[in-house]
Amino acid sequence: MAKEEGLQVTRRTTRYSASNNAVEPTKPTEFYKPTLNDLGFRQQPLGFEDLLSCFPGRSTQVLELLRLLGPLNSPMFPVLVYGGPSTGKTSVTLQVFRHLNRPFVYSSCVTCYNPRILFESILNQLWFHRKNSGHSYSSVKRCERPSDFVNYLREASESVIDNLKGNSGKLSSKLSGQPNGTMVYLVFDNLERVRDWDKSSTILPFLFNLCDILKMPEVGLIFISSTSPDTYYLNIGYLEPIPLYFPDYTEDDLRQIFMANQVNRKLYTSFLDVVLRPFCRVTRRIDELSAAFSSLFKKYSEPLSDMEVAPNEDMKRRLFTHLRPHITTALNETFQVRSQPLLKAETNQETKKKNSSRMSGIREDFDKMDFHMSTSAKYLLISAFLASRNPATLDASLFDSTGVSDSRKRKRKASEKSMEQKKMAEQELLMKGPGTFPLERLLAIFQCITSLAEDSLDEEGSDELTIEGGSGGLMSDVLLQLSSLCNANFIIKGGSCPLEGSTRYRTAVSEDLALKVARSLKFPLSKYLYRR
Amino acid sequence: MGREKEKQNPSEKALNLLRTRLSNPNFIFKPLSDSPDSNYSKLKFIISSSVTEACNNSILLLGPRGSGKVAVLELVLGDLLQQYPEVISVIRLNGLLHSDDNCALKEIAQQLCVEHQLLFSKVASFDDNSQFMIAMLRECGLAHKTIIFVLNEFDYFAQGKQRLLYSLLDAMQSVTSQAVVIGVSCRLDVDQLLEKRVRSRFSHRKLLFLPPSKEDTERFMEHILSLPVDSSLPHNYTVEFNARLKKILSDERFKELINTYLSFNSTIGHLVRFLFQAVSYLDLDVGFLSLENFKTALSSMQRQPKLECIRDCSILELYLLVCMKRLEVKEQNSYNFNSVMTEYKSIHDSFQTSDYYARNVCLRAFEHLLQHQLISFADNRGHNQSVEFRPVKLLISLAELHQGLKSYRLCPMFYLDLIKIGFWILPLVQACKLHKIPAFDSFLVCYVNYYCCGASFLPLKMVKVAFSRQLS
Repeated sequence: MAKEEGLQVTRRTTRYSASNNAVEPTKPTEFYKPTLNDLGFRQQPLGFEDLLSCFPGRSTQVLELLRLLGPLNSPMFPVLVYGGPSTGKTSVTLQVFRHLNRPFVYSSCVTCYNPRILFESILNQLWFHRKNSGHSYSSVKRCERPSDFVNYLREASESVIDNLKGNSGKLSSKLSGQPNGTMVYLVFDNLERVRDWDKSSTILPFLFNLCDILKMPEVGLIFISSTSPDTYYLNIGYLEPIPLYFPDYTEDDLRQIFMANQVNRKLYTSFLDVVLRPFCRVTRRIDELSAAFSSLFKKYSEPLSDMEVAPNEDMKRRLFTHLRPHITTALNETFQVRSQPLLKAETNQETKKKNSSRMSGIREDFDKMDFHMSTSAKYLLISAFLASRNPATLDASLFDSTGVSDSRKRKRKASEKSMEQKKMAEQELLMKGPGTFPLERLLAIFQCITSLAEDSLDEEGSDELTIEGGSGGLMSDVLLQLSSLCNANFIIKGGSCPLEGSTRYRTAVSEDLALKVARSLKFPLSKYLYRR
Repeated sequence: MGREKEKQNPSEKALNLLRTRLSNPNFIFKPLSDSPDSNYSKLKFIISSSVTEACNNSILLLGPRGSGKVAVLELVLGDLLQQYPEVISVIRLNGLLHSDDNCALKEIAQQLCVEHQLLFSKVASFDDNSQFMIAMLRECGLAHKTIIFVLNEFDYFAQGKQRLLYSLLDAMQSVTSQAVVIGVSCRLDVDQLLEKRVRSRFSHRKLLFLPPSKEDTERFMEHILSLPVDSSLPHNYTVEFNARLKKILSDERFKELINTYLSFNSTIGHLVRFLFQAVSYLDLDVGFLSLENFKTALSSMQRQPKLECIRDCSILELYLLVCMKRLEVKEQNSYNFNSVMTEYKSIHDSFQTSDYYARNVCLRAFEHLLQHQLISFADNRGHNQSVEFRPVKLLISLAELHQGLKSYRLCPMFYLDLIKIGFWILPLVQACKLHKIPAFDSFLVCYVNYYCCGASFLPLKMVKVAFSRQLS
């Protein structure tokens, strides 16, 4: 499996670099002049049998795609290839083109993140233009508007098709490895991203109607999307492209895929017998499974001295008992997958997306990583956590100047009404998430808990706390710490409150993290936490 | 080997021919235009009369997408260009591309320049271009040349200030000009979108494009799918192909199939798309169309994407969906990941399921659901909140979830039961509470009554557990 994944990744990156016209940094002086051959796959065409064996569980989809593309030089209707992430949509499409050896232009809406870049990338490929330092990495034509794009696209594809026609006349075209046929296919990958561009008001209808606008039967369109066609609801309507669905792999398909390229097949079969079923209950996505399995398999084969050995029943049992505890822990871990963005479905705002995905990243990483944080920053974090979780009205009673008030909320009689209220409040808390707080409250809590800590730490003669109650130097230092915590995304700066006019803060650290930080300070956090 | 190739050739050629035909709108709409009361004849009459009588005119072509408005118009224009080659020039604009007034005028100026061998200036301003257009209109009027403006996606031009439409139609008010404006739109109410000053200058001539009648459809299919006898294809093959096609077309099953398809997609564009898919299923070894081809095409057209998504979910993801549905049944109108997790936990506590995973695993499953668009965020606010706290909503109905769970291969019956509990028992228990019937037995009587009304029956033990949990 690992090998196959690797293969796919490199394939994709080669396409990627071709589509972005990246220049090899090693040889800046020799510019590669792309030719017509670059519209093909530039690798040995794949045989039909190889194509099918490359993609276990995908033979129906491969056959259907081949049918929709049709024989050489026959026009096609636009096709929408869709299915969940990591179901082989892009690789199947590209490999089908490799098999057919027909010219195509691939552009992904992830790398081409706005209309202009998308248009220019397509035109660059059609005009055999490669960005280089010779013309300061400019595109062949500046093209921002769809209207310009249509004109240029018509011009470019006409020239390419003429070129192809000229070539197909010659008999030698087959030998020199040039692409077949006189059709050019445009492949748009990750179409779901387009919905987020400038509220998708114009680009998406434009792309879906491109076939009607161009009126060139020599240009075939293929859209690849990870969401189903019904999520592309446009109020102007369009003649939908022909749908081609890639379902998630079934358990048997997954087994076939994981078995591919395994050294010791027998051993791996017995491994899969053990792990595949429970993991499939959680996720059927191949990228996540392969990340989990690669480490688990290492654990599985740990007791074996010889990796080549074929396991017998007794050994399988022993290996299973060895592995069992690891399975349960692995099931309850999220496998880190690098390629998939954590929150694809989140709407546009790039920066915000980054924020929140980083937040959850921190939460997950925390178990492994020990924080190197100054003591006052830790206290600041705790006080921010308290300020977020506790209602502001309780501050006075919690941080009484006489010390810790153990007289926490007295348990009231659980009358019907209060029960109801409690339930409502609970729900509200779940819904609302951590509350916001002004800077003053944070600082007040901070001072309270640091003074408390100083009291308790006095006998230990601690000098790690350089903070003394209420001096001017302290404040600026704390503010500095606060801003660095904000930068590290532990504390989020929210909008300002319209009534008070000051900025409000909010922290998104989980309780586990806060407790851990408190433990490292020996601070009794749970005492101060108001529980409803 | 060589003989085999010879044998395969005609079928591939035939397939190629059919595919070319289907993607050529001129071929498709030609036969539908010969009758005198067709849109083709009407449109041709209107345009040609304004060309010959040297007057201004404006028409709207309305009809659903894929009903052949542009194709018929292009046929008419092609004929007229042949008929009066010297006196007609056509300017084509598309609302998707040129909805911006500035851009549209530039495009008009450019096309006029190309048409009349003038030099087009890229730096010309909006005013320059509009003056140029008006001057050209006058000049052409004096030379008795008609300019035909085709405005595709007309509704896009009716957005904003409609400056283009106004200046175009206003210029046509003068005697000297000679132009036809043809608006094409799939919005039937497009003339209501026009401003008063534009509307008053617009002649309210409309041509409606309706879906074809049943006889037309049949005639049309035969016209498209049968192979020409006088082509390079071998004669025997053509004859046999056409004979088989006729048999299919007259088949009752086929008629039923076409009727089901047309009942939800009635335009010619949809029909062509369907035929294309059926044709692309043509088996090259056999070389003839069969009823099976049409059947597979129909089944691949009729998709239920949400059900497919549910089938793609893992068990854990289904579990979360069930939890959300239960929350909805409990009339909790807004919920987020945290509240789903409490529901998840409470189900686990009372029924001891085997699928209980850590919070972050559930969060990932939750994100998968978001990616699949089975759920979505309820509002666009709170981007800086992390995912757990943002309220979500389900995008599938109870019936869809139920059907999806039923068709899910490995779905434990338990989840179906969970939904049933949510759907049937919770309201019942609420009712019992209202009427102060705390005993399980009396509740069961209600339940059995309910069951007779069509609810499905659950294991008694499960009902008991659900009941006791609700009362506590």
